[in-house]
Amino acid sequence: MDAMIQLIHVSKTYDRRPALSDLTLEIEKGEFVLLMGPSGAGKSTLLRMLIAAETPDEGQIFVQGKNVTKLKRSEIPFLRRKVGTVFQDFRLLPKKSVFENVALPLLVQGASSVDIRRKVTEALRAVGVDHKKDQLPTGLSAGEQQRVCIARAIVNGPIVLLADEPTGNLDPERTAEIIELFKLINARGTTVVVATHDPQVMAQINRRAIVLQEGGRVRPSAHAMQVAG
Amino acid sequence: MRRVFYLFREAWANMRANRTTTVVAILTTAFTLSCVGIFLLLYVNLRSAAGWLQEDIKIIVYLEDQLSREAVVELEDRLKSDRTVAATVFISKEQALGEFRAQFPEDSHLLEGLGQNPLPASFVVTLAPQFRSPDAVKRWTERVRTIGGVAKVDYNQEWIDALAGVIRYIELIAIGVGAILSTAAVTIIGNTIRLTLFSRREEEEILRLIGATRWFIRIPYLLEGAVLGACGSALSLLILKGGFELFRQQIGATGRLSGIEHMITFFPVSVCLALILVGIGLGFAGSFVSLRRFGDGRT
Ligand SMILES: Nc1ncnc2c1ncn2[C@@H]1O[C@H](COP(=O)(O)OP(=O)(O)O)[C@@H](O)[C@H]1O
Ligand SMILES: [Mg+2]
Repeated sequence: MDAMIQLIHVSKTYDRRPALSDLTLEIEKGEFVLLMGPSGAGKSTLLRMLIAAETPDEGQIFVQGKNVTKLKRSEIPFLRRKVGTVFQDFRLLPKKSVFENVALPLLVQGASSVDIRRKVTEALRAVGVDHKKDQLPTGLSAGEQQRVCIARAIVNGPIVLLADEPTGNLDPERTAEIIELFKLINARGTTVVVATHDPQVMAQINRRAIVLQEGGRVRPSAHAMQVAG
Repeated sequence: MRRVFYLFREAWANMRANRTTTVVAILTTAFTLSCVGIFLLLYVNLRSAAGWLQEDIKIIVYLEDQLSREAVVELEDRLKSDRTVAATVFISKEQALGEFRAQFPEDSHLLEGLGQNPLPASFVVTLAPQFRSPDAVKRWTERVRTIGGVAKVDYNQEWIDALAGVIRYIELIAIGVGAILSTAAVTIIGNTIRLTLFSRREEEEILRLIGATRWFIRIPYLLEGAVLGACGSALSLLILKGGFELFRQQIGATGRLSGIEHMITFFPVSVCLALILVGIGLGFAGSFVSLRRFGDGRT
């Protein structure tokens, strides 16, 4: 099987405290992986490294065969156009409408108006908020805002979708809906990595889990069910 | 296309969001550039005045007193065959005396007592236009001075040299003042851009995370700087034009220097456009400096 994401002996230390220690792992193309572990275990750090927002002190990271630790600064945007990111705090632009927010990844690469309209409408429909496209994100509920954030992450048709605590601000019902959405996106062929320490998410996504411990060591791979149970 | 539209709209939104700073930046930039403009105006007008004087330059070649007719004719031929000479007019001793009497009727008795006419004959020489520069004139007079039969070569040198000195002086001041105040304008605009940058930190971070290039993020700020610079320099031109017209009216009204008001001129349109371009350049520089120092953040 092809590896979509590969970490080889990756270490990162902040102020002499290890965030990730000698991490080696592989995520396959089309896989849905949970990245688990307590707060401070290094989940966010790992995800940030995958989009070159952070560089490891040691080790190599490959995304779709490309070494992202060796990217030139000018190449980084092109990596991020292939990897969609969903944040716990949504990170939507408050003064732009839902439509404009979702259009942003297309806009930065110079897509045509026709293309933008078509793809944004499609993405908004996929996450079920197309009826709110002209509203400002601040007027939306948390669950809706997270859907807009997901729409923005998938509007490009990314090869990988990364989500960092995507349900951290949602109630159990919204959480369940968002998880279904990720499953759907994964079913269409996108590799999905969800970082979480939310037991509900673990229980509902019975897939391979990569478990980080305090200090960024990885536990032998397991299924989320086993970890949660 | 859509992207270009977006970038312009962002720049406009930034300026509207910080309206007060934008207006203050334009006003201070305009004031700063006006100060430079005053020296530039002075310089341009003195230069053209010097040009007229230089155009008007007449060189007088005085002849030795006991020169024979043939020698005079020979000298005239020699001057006329010189390709740097456009025209020569011969003034005989008698004509010189006549002119003196006409010009200074009360003083003509001074000459009576001398018995014979003390005024020398001369050629009044006009040089060809391309040889009227101070240097060329100097070289020509030095050459002619050595010709046999020539007593003295004269032209209104002091005047022209003095004016050239003043112009050089003003040129230096204009360059100095221009450099200092341009730096000030760059700083003013740079500070305004920095405020925008700080107010939009988070948005920029988001743009970076979704794959915007550095230039995509920078362009609205560069546009903002360019607009500030353009508005500042355009406004400074209006201020200067207003001040210039007022000044012209004033000296026209006093009457003492009348005539000058028709000689001084404002910048021609081409220079005005160039100055606006300079303003745009300063604005670009200002936002570029700010972007280098504050705008890049982490990747
Ligand atoms: N930018 C940073 N500067 C300093 N320390 C950091 C930074 N980012 C993360 N850390 C530290 O690294 C460790 C891992 O953090 P993080 O990756 O956010 O963990 P998680 O997402 O699993 O909660 C924590 O101890 C955190 O304090
Ligand atoms: Mg985290």
